[in-house]
Amino acid sequence: MKKNNALAIGITIIAFFGLVAIFAGMCAPYEPSAIDQNNLLMPPSLHHPLGTDSLGRDLLSRMIYGARISLAVGIIAVGIATLLGVFLGCVAGFYGGMIDAFIMRLVDIILCFPTLFLILAVVAILEPSIFNIMVIIGLTGWMGTARLVRSEILSLKEREFVQAARAIGASNARIILRHLLPHAMGPVLVSATLGIGSAILLESGLSFLGLGVQPPVPSWGNILIEAKSTLGIAWWITVFPGLAILVTILGFNLISEGLKKEIG
Amino acid sequence: MILEVKDVSKVFTVERGFFKQKAQAVRALDAVSFRLEQFRTLGIVGESGSGKTTLAKIILRLVSPTQGAVAFDPARITDFRKDVQIIFQNPYNSLNAKMRILDIIAEPLRIHRLVPRKGLKEKVAALLSMVGLDRASMARYPAEFSGGQRQRICIARALATQPKFIVLDEPISSLDLTIQAQMLDLFMRLKEECRLTYIFISHNLAVVKHIADSVIVMRDGRIVEACDTQAIFTSPQNDYTRLLLEAARG
Amino acid sequence: MGHLIEVNDLRVSFGATPAVDGISFQIRENEVLVLAGESGSGKTVTALALTRILPASARIVSGSVTFRGQDLLALKEEGLAQTRGRDIAYIFQEPASFLNPVFTIGSQIMEAIILHQARTKQDARKEALALLGLVQIKEPERVFASYPHQLSGGMNQRVFTAMSLACRPKLLIADEPTTALDVTVESQIVKLLMDLKKTLGFSMLFITHNLALAKKIADRVCVMYRGKIVEEAGMPALFARPQHFHTKELIAAYEKIGKL
Repeated sequence: MKKNNALAIGITIIAFFGLVAIFAGMCAPYEPSAIDQNNLLMPPSLHHPLGTDSLGRDLLSRMIYGARISLAVGIIAVGIATLLGVFLGCVAGFYGGMIDAFIMRLVDIILCFPTLFLILAVVAILEPSIFNIMVIIGLTGWMGTARLVRSEILSLKEREFVQAARAIGASNARIILRHLLPHAMGPVLVSATLGIGSAILLESGLSFLGLGVQPPVPSWGNILIEAKSTLGIAWWITVFPGLAILVTILGFNLISEGLKKEIG
Repeated sequence: MILEVKDVSKVFTVERGFFKQKAQAVRALDAVSFRLEQFRTLGIVGESGSGKTTLAKIILRLVSPTQGAVAFDPARITDFRKDVQIIFQNPYNSLNAKMRILDIIAEPLRIHRLVPRKGLKEKVAALLSMVGLDRASMARYPAEFSGGQRQRICIARALATQPKFIVLDEPISSLDLTIQAQMLDLFMRLKEECRLTYIFISHNLAVVKHIADSVIVMRDGRIVEACDTQAIFTSPQNDYTRLLLEAARG
Repeated sequence: MGHLIEVNDLRVSFGATPAVDGISFQIRENEVLVLAGESGSGKTVTALALTRILPASARIVSGSVTFRGQDLLALKEEGLAQTRGRDIAYIFQEPASFLNPVFTIGSQIMEAIILHQARTKQDARKEALALLGLVQIKEPERVFASYPHQLSGGMNQRVFTAMSLACRPKLLIADEPTTALDVTVESQIVKLLMDLKKTLGFSMLFITHNLALAKKIADRVCVMYRGKIVEEAGMPALFARPQHFHTKELIAAYEKIGKL
């Protein structure tokens, strides 16, 4: 097998951020919300490798805990979207007819909505919380997966091995789960990893607008809120969280690219 | 009598155009009737478009007929999905590429709960040896096998439920000639060992001559001739049958 | 003279796996040589290697293919393109997959004619219709205007044959051209090829796994087994006195189910 550099690099990046997020308590040099009046807006130094913010909180520690939130939001939101998309795609592709028409029109309608404004509206009505953010990103992101799965199922279900399964008495559920889905999972995995990147970006955007994760809980997005007002005097508050978002998304995109190559 | 096919017709409607307006009817089967005794082999001969595969799928209840009925003897065929099996033409498409051979052959055993979990591997090994494959094949995937071997795997899967009736839909025509000859011997051996009734579909008269007790010749969805195997080769009644024989003799 | 094409010690491999393992054969003018063997024996790879139209993963390791005094394997790609299609033409098992589904039969035959013979469109059209007549198509005008999917498998094989013969090749390589067809159609196509050979006078390399066909058309047969030619014999002789065990296997299978 050929070396798959994209996959290797992507996994390394995400594994690094993942481990840091999981072991945040051990990695972070300070409490993420510990205020230090004597060290406001300190540039990167030995004591504070990435500097401090306007409340004197250690930026590195905040970003490490922020990684936890950002990655969790990305992964869980995409998990919700993927489950929903796979389920609806399978049902639509396998049963066809009216059910298919209904689900696919639903997809078309939701795709017509400007997602960001839909999310803004929902968040404005509900409380902005981590949980709500995950669910709302998940509920607005399943359509691509549903289409993908549906088209895979459509092309697979007439194949002879499916008829063979039916001939030995396999139920519809068994045919879908054992015979159809495994063949569709490759492309789903590719699009899901790509989706995690965009979900993290969306979370950052929402948090930046103040509609996502609420301070003092740190996320990469809401660290940037503060960066807005201090950009002129404290570049590090903008650059490091921005870089973290960029590298993470790059990592997920590389994994996605690598998986695509792996699947062929 | 184990099977009676009575007046079976199948019409497929083909929808055309953007609004699916021009529904066009294609008559794949037209009033097909025949009977089959237990432990016999019926050969069905026909060229592409003769409706023989549609007939096979209707017998297997994978497709429903537009008209007519297929009746199995309820005293002999008690659990349809267990007692009636099919082998398809293309062994490359009829195995799930993502499943190991063990899981492929064990699937019918699991579905019908025929063997306790502990005995599963032994049963699969026994089935593999019946079709001339070794035990080590279990851990491998379909892609690692040749066409003939894959067809043997399909046969092992079909035999797993101890069926009484197997429809063989062009089971060997995609294989090399020497492999075809081996497979034909295997089918004849299994028929004796497992006390099976066969419907053997083929476009090759020589193959049918070997295995079938009686023959049906089909063309454009109709039965044009039906009689004993011997008679069809010595005294064909229908012009189309004669044409087929002539082409096969060269 | 006498030999139209001479293959010497041809070796082709996929990665480290040899597919064709040092084979040599010749075809005379007007001769039908049948390459008989089963799947994986290397017969198709041999056919494709003659004009270097192998898939990218295959590599010609050594050998020479001398066609009218020229080594085709040593020739540059441009020189070879001249030979391909004009002097050496192919027909394959699934003609429909080699015909472009979005163009009419007529335009595809005309393309083949114009490509090698630089003629005017009217000329090419006339020639295309003549070719369709040559392959014994009863309504050439209708077929000319049809798309591949509107025609049956046998009809498509006739069309593909017409295209292959557009430049009156000296050698026709037929790779299992009837395997996908019904028996009655198969015998028609075989008869057509033999008729055409008689009228146009070309040599043929016919590849098949079925000795029944070899028996019908071959002057000589080479039996391939695991990348090697294991037996070469004239036609009645092969059946009368087979030497290699694989030839015997093939004949046994033919006796059992290849013939009535």
